[in-house]
Amino acid sequence: MKIIFQTKKLNFEEVLENFTSKNNNSGAVISFLGKVRPVNNNNKIKSMDIEIYEEMALYQTKLAINNLLKKFKIHDYLIIHRYGNLKPGENIIFVIVASEHRKEGFIFIQEILLYFKKKITFWKKENYEQYSKWLDSQN
Amino acid sequence: MKILYFAKIKEIIGKNEDSINIDDQNTVGEIIEKLKLIDESYKIAFKDLKNIKCSVNCNYIKSFQTKVTNTDEIAFFPPVTGG
Repeated sequence: MKIIFQTKKLNFEEVLENFTSKNNNSGAVISFLGKVRPVNNNNKIKSMDIEIYEEMALYQTKLAINNLLKKFKIHDYLIIHRYGNLKPGENIIFVIVASEHRKEGFIFIQEILLYFKKKITFWKKENYEQYSKWLDSQN
Repeated sequence: MKILYFAKIKEIIGKNEDSINIDDQNTVGEIIEKLKLIDESYKIAFKDLKNIKCSVNCNYIKSFQTKVTNTDEIAFFPPVTGG
């Protein structure tokens, strides 16, 4: 059960392998990988800057997870979210969860991603050829 | 009191934090008014409060009427866009 915010590249294959081998008693292991798109709204993306308020992001993620763990029976989870400068195709976020059955795992991932869209203190700025733009919230 | 700025707000103001002293309990709204006296960039950054979120000690506040003291850490930022 771990939350990691990091600048270094995210090698999800290795993370997945370690996680699944630790959770052999779970019936379901479900994961989500979010990546930097090469194009957004017809604008070619050169890179993306992700800023974090780390202390609050960690605190709010723990609050969110504590809420979710009261509702869903989860055996284990790992959340990795990157910050800093990322290029198109690079991995931004990886969420992996182990549970008895698939249903609670899918819902857990969906809910945690919603928290990242609404509450967890990360901000994305897309850098194009001619200019840069902070992304607007989807809320 | 430590005041942190993130993303677009940080860019407009040109720095990521300030430290100010207040005599007594102030509301967050009163702190914003004090900040706007520093220079024009703060006035621009805090022009549209509808698009500004605020936390006190890592907790979101529901109203700019929330009271704070010198030992609190306040942060101002746009709505988040993570995930």
